[in-house]
Amino acid sequence: MIYRNRNKVVSLSNAMTLTVVTLASLAVIIAAVIFNSMFRDYMENIAITNSEQSVDQVSVTINNYTDDIIGIMNKLAYDKDSAPSAELFEDLIDIRNDVVMVSTYDMSGNNTGIWSNYDVKDPVFTNLSYDSISSYEGEGVYISAPHVVSVLDNNYPWVVTITGSFVDVSGTPGIIAIDVRFSDIAGYIDGVGIGQHGYCFIMDNDGNIIYHPQQQLIHTGLKSENEMITGLADGSHMADGVIYTVKTLEDTNWKIIGVTYLDETVTNRVNTMIIVSILILLLVVLVSFLSGTLFSYLFTKPVKKLTDAMRDFEDNAQDFVFEPIVGAVEVNSLSDSFEHLVKRIQQLMEEVKAEENTLRKTQLMALQAQINPHFLYNTLDAISWMCEEGKNKDAVLMVNNLAKLFRISISRGQEIIPIDKEIQHAQCYLQIQKYRYKNQFDYKFEIDDNLRQYLCNKITLQPLIENALYHGLNMIDEGLIIIRIKDDGDCIILEVEDNGIGMSEDQVAELFVGDITDRGIGVKNVNDRIKIYFGDEYGITVRSELDEGTTVSIRIPKTTEDDRIEK
Amino acid sequence: MRSKEHNLRYVVIISAILLVAVGAGILMLVKMASDTGSIFQVNGPRAYVAVIGKSNTSAFWESVSSGARASAAEYNLDMTFEAPDNEEDFEAQNEMIRSAIAKGADAIVFSAIDYNGNADAINEAIEAGIPVVIIDSDVNSDGVSCRIMTDNYAAGQMAGMQAIEDVEGELVVGVVNYDVNSANGQQREQGFCDAISSSGRVRSVYTINCLSTQESAYEGTVSLIGEHPDINMLAALNELMSLGSGYAVRDMGLQDEVSIYAFDSNVVCVGMLETGEIDGLIVQNPYAMGYLGVENAYKLINGLPIDSERIDTTTTYVSSSNMYDIDIQRMIFMFGE
Repeated sequence: MIYRNRNKVVSLSNAMTLTVVTLASLAVIIAAVIFNSMFRDYMENIAITNSEQSVDQVSVTINNYTDDIIGIMNKLAYDKDSAPSAELFEDLIDIRNDVVMVSTYDMSGNNTGIWSNYDVKDPVFTNLSYDSISSYEGEGVYISAPHVVSVLDNNYPWVVTITGSFVDVSGTPGIIAIDVRFSDIAGYIDGVGIGQHGYCFIMDNDGNIIYHPQQQLIHTGLKSENEMITGLADGSHMADGVIYTVKTLEDTNWKIIGVTYLDETVTNRVNTMIIVSILILLLVVLVSFLSGTLFSYLFTKPVKKLTDAMRDFEDNAQDFVFEPIVGAVEVNSLSDSFEHLVKRIQQLMEEVKAEENTLRKTQLMALQAQINPHFLYNTLDAISWMCEEGKNKDAVLMVNNLAKLFRISISRGQEIIPIDKEIQHAQCYLQIQKYRYKNQFDYKFEIDDNLRQYLCNKITLQPLIENALYHGLNMIDEGLIIIRIKDDGDCIILEVEDNGIGMSEDQVAELFVGDITDRGIGVKNVNDRIKIYFGDEYGITVRSELDEGTTVSIRIPKTTEDDRIEK
Repeated sequence: MRSKEHNLRYVVIISAILLVAVGAGILMLVKMASDTGSIFQVNGPRAYVAVIGKSNTSAFWESVSSGARASAAEYNLDMTFEAPDNEEDFEAQNEMIRSAIAKGADAIVFSAIDYNGNADAINEAIEAGIPVVIIDSDVNSDGVSCRIMTDNYAAGQMAGMQAIEDVEGELVVGVVNYDVNSANGQQREQGFCDAISSSGRVRSVYTINCLSTQESAYEGTVSLIGEHPDINMLAALNELMSLGSGYAVRDMGLQDEVSIYAFDSNVVCVGMLETGEIDGLIVQNPYAMGYLGVENAYKLINGLPIDSERIDTTTTYVSSSNMYDIDIQRMIFMFGE
């Protein structure tokens, strides 16, 4: 169940998608914020520059205009040599198209003459130009706010009235008012735009609007101009996303005010930018989702398949069939390695199985050979004779030996028994044989007692002794069998030596062929079992010389019961 | 192996989708960049607003045009003002609408000569995705984004209230109205009549509907007064009616007997106001219509919220006593030549 819990943890492709999306979101948001502030600053600067340039231009134009009309007035009023006459006024309205009307007044304000190219009303009800005369203080040149000329028939042009004092040809001082057309200036101001959204207007120092492109709206309350503008000094000011640029004109008490709306255009663009950012973000999410899917198909899913395959393999290694998994190159090589591993393990398992089979077969053979009916029959026959001859003690001994022999042979089905038991087994066998062959041979044990505790394959000494007895000694006189158990470092040597007829090399070689020979359990059987159990480096070696005798040595590792359990 | 080919196909399909998505995204960005005109560019191409009026000769429409021009300058727009030569020619207006669509106008500011006759052309523009702002005279279309006009009933009412304040005694009223199918004229008449009847001094009201020309108004006024010589008050409900009845009263020498309450100003009307032929003028705000029309077009083009779908431009009452106040001067006298 552990791996199930682990499965709940986020997958690599999901983690990748999440990471990419998070990083992209962060990047886009940071970029948007930085862009926003930078863009705002940039736009503000541009707007201020635009505004100041426009206002400068307007002020230059208006200055030229006022300079021009003040120039005219100065010419009329102060040129003593050519005191203004009716002819001069006639010429002026003829030459200067922008001079709508010239009117003169005596010092008490009575009209003394009107010159114009237009028809004058009869009677005149109102003379708005006179209003500026009444504000005239008798010194210098005064420029009125724009107004219409009210004395012309069916014609009401917008003008500014320039007022100055003069002395006529008769030497009488008077006041002269020149009405100069204002519509050109108005049209010019109307046409001034600043930036994406902005305009210009003229105000006097007291905050009265001289000319405003939206004055019809302001009057009717459809629009209003911020009241704080009145107090603003020259320069640019910003309030609530609106830039006000103020410039005072030199010759008049007029100010040019430039108004630029920053916020709506910038906000608009920033909003567009935000939309673009969101679009980019969506694109990134889409791309990372798709690449996540791709990654999943190339990596995560194959890896999961591989994991499943491994689990299947774990559950049933024997019958597992591996289908190669396709994915990224790395996954493919992982899959190949696993395939190789599976094949190797299955091969090893086959080998182990085969060895186990061999072991069982040889074990069975050894057991079968032990229960050699011929040996059993002879022994029982001998016991029977003993009983008949009244050698009861000997008979008891024989029966005990036989019983022990079989008990150790079987050893509850175990292949491995302590050396001590194996020695007992050999002793039982030798006693039985020695009795049967009426002491025709002798034997002795040379045992290193420290080694009795170690383990060895059962039925190892007995077949070798049997060989020595039947083929080595061959009933020669003074036959001797020596059984040795020797310590050899990490190993134990079990030796069976006889002083019999010995064997040729060919005969020695023959010992290792065939499981069962006519001599019963062969050397090969013992050798095979030792090798299966302890490994190829262990086993039997035979030294033999004709007429000298044979020594068969078994070499096994020192193994205790504990070692086996650990294995 | 099956899954191998399967996976390969997936990879190909996913890559294809990816490519398409990225391509679509880039296209969208490019489109957005060109639509809004200026994501990457500070000075994009300027938006174009077509203003189509009802006339290009009257003082009223000159004022509309100059308001539109000031607004276009303020909002950095390209603007054209067009109107048919004849104030009855709604077909010519439809041609102008279609030509504006063809020229790729970003918004149309329109005043309808014919409430129904202009509807199809306006709907074509709306279907082409061009926002439409109506000024002065409405059109029969649901798709109009914004309407900017005088509250004609209130304007008529204002004239009537001034009239009953100025004139004492029993009232015999003649109404010189124009096209009987004009909603504007009918509403003014209704407002005027409702206001004067509140005085309880009205003996009778006679209405005459003239063609929208000065001559027709003159003749109509003469015949109305001829039939009803006891008329002591006239209401003239547009600029041409005002002129026609003003001249008629002047020529009949009745300026002291008959009070005229007239609509819309021009220089002649103003002169008549000064001389007393006309007693009161109801002045609309054509400049504001032009200005606000283009301003709202700008807002619509840029996706900014508009203040209201219906904006009432104000009306101002002008009499001989206030006509030279600076604010009234600004209202009734054009700056242009």
